[in-house]
Amino acid sequence: MRAFNYCRPTSYGEAFHWLAGADQLVVPVAGATDLIPRIRDGLLRPDVVLDIKDLPDMRALTPTDGRLTSGEGVPPGLYVGAAVRMNELARSELVSSRWGVLAMAAASMGNEQVRNRATIGGNICTASPAADTAPALYVLEAAVCIKGPDGDRTVAIADFFAGPRKNALHRGELVVGLTIPQPPEGSIGHFEKLSRRKAGDLSIVSVAALAVRTDAGYRWRLALGAVGPTPLRSPESEAILSESLTDEAIDRAAASAYGCCCPISDIRSGLEYRQAMVINLTRHAIHAVMAQMPTP
Amino acid sequence: MLHEISLTVNGDHYTLAVHSHHTLLQVLREQTGITSPKRGCENGECGACTVILNGLPVNSCLVLAPEADGAVVETVESLNKGGTLHPLQEAFIEHNAVQCGFCTPGMLMSSKALLDRIPNPTEDQIRDALVGNLCRCTGYLRIIEAILDVAGSCDEP
Ligand SMILES: Cc1cc2nc3c(=O)[nH]c(=O)nc-3n(C[C@H](O)[C@H](O)[C@H](O)COP(=O)(O)OP(=O)(O)OC[C@H]3O[C@@H](n4cnc5c(N)ncnc54)[C@H](O)[C@@H]3O)c2cc1C
Ligand code: FES
Ligand code: FES
Repeated sequence: MRAFNYCRPTSYGEAFHWLAGADQLVVPVAGATDLIPRIRDGLLRPDVVLDIKDLPDMRALTPTDGRLTSGEGVPPGLYVGAAVRMNELARSELVSSRWGVLAMAAASMGNEQVRNRATIGGNICTASPAADTAPALYVLEAAVCIKGPDGDRTVAIADFFAGPRKNALHRGELVVGLTIPQPPEGSIGHFEKLSRRKAGDLSIVSVAALAVRTDAGYRWRLALGAVGPTPLRSPESEAILSESLTDEAIDRAAASAYGCCCPISDIRSGLEYRQAMVINLTRHAIHAVMAQMPTP
Repeated sequence: MLHEISLTVNGDHYTLAVHSHHTLLQVLREQTGITSPKRGCENGECGACTVILNGLPVNSCLVLAPEADGAVVETVESLNKGGTLHPLQEAFIEHNAVQCGFCTPGMLMSSKALLDRIPNPTEDQIRDALVGNLCRCTGYLRIIEAILDVAGSCDEP
């Protein structure tokens, strides 16, 4: 690998001092599962790699009863530090209790060794349209907590993904974590992905569905990965499913999901196959959620 | 740039000067002389470089060397430290789960980590734990059978 320097700050002051260096390229690193292959391939030539894992609260995984959240009036939910690893999410009882769709997405990623290193902050910062935690975070309506030399800000997950490999961070900023609202009791989530192998590979298409429990029934949320420049929600499908769950409604919802995606052909799949699989996977995800609904 | 790091590998303590841009795999192979972790893809795909880092199986080709400061690392050499083979090693031999052997150290470390986490795994759990370990000659069935054999024997009092 091409030579670079490595630093591991323990305070944000120190981290922002490094990141402000104008004469050199300073790149944050967490699990390095995306970064090292990119440096090896010559896609990135950092002068300094800045390890964020020892910064305060980067590894926190805790319910938010006010603590660790920046804004006022944050609903009770989950706070996930940026450096929390995939297997920590996949195996956490806390995460599975109410945010199961995120645990499922984390468990689907890469392989055991990669999941022991890859972090949620790294996954969203790659801003890959195929980032597997993204559809889950979209339906959970997570917010990304960002820290910079000039202060803190929060960005909705859907605004954080700006385009293929483009995120909403300004130069010198870091993602410190995510806040995820708690879906009401009785809500049901499901994540489904299709890849070239049954496991261990990036998604050709991924779908997250969340049926949010309401007094009257369920309000649906549906998000798709790897079929557009960013992950995306399908508002029309959501409206259809919230209205009715007949076979005909499910067909229309799947067709609407197909309508709102704009996939490309790449090494993992051709365009037409991706389009066809959007319909199939959306249907699977809807049925998987319905199978968990209590019978009236 | 050089960093001085201390780490424990298979119970032995090392203090080494490592390069920022080297990986744990390079440090193990080139600076400690422990060559069981193999250099395959160097991309996190093949698992030939798998070691147990602070209790968890990871690809040592994706760990930056300075990050290993303070770490406890286990490689396949730790399995027969007392001079006798580990039950997993015995089972791999018995089931002919080794051909060229290039994947074997990684397979053994992934299996060891699995049994540490789940002493009696199901076949599905074994397959899941080995997704990141590729073998291009033995095929996976014998490897899975070998692990099942050891897992089953954990039942015995
Ligand atoms: C074999 C293999 C299989 C994989 N399979 C999948 C898969 O199935 N699904 C999937 O989605 N991905 C997959 N990946 C890609 C990768 O593992 C994930 O995207 C992972 O979550 C990246 O996290 P990381 O902590 O390793 O990121 P890193 O490599 O450390 O960082 C990734 C990028 O984010 C930046 N960054 C990291 N943390 C921060 C922060 N806190 N603030 C600001 N910037 C930051 C870094 O500068 C870098 O540009 C796979 C990778 C490999 C090697
Ligand atoms: S050499 Fe590390 S995974 Fe292949
Ligand atoms: S025995 Fe040759 S690669 Fe597995």
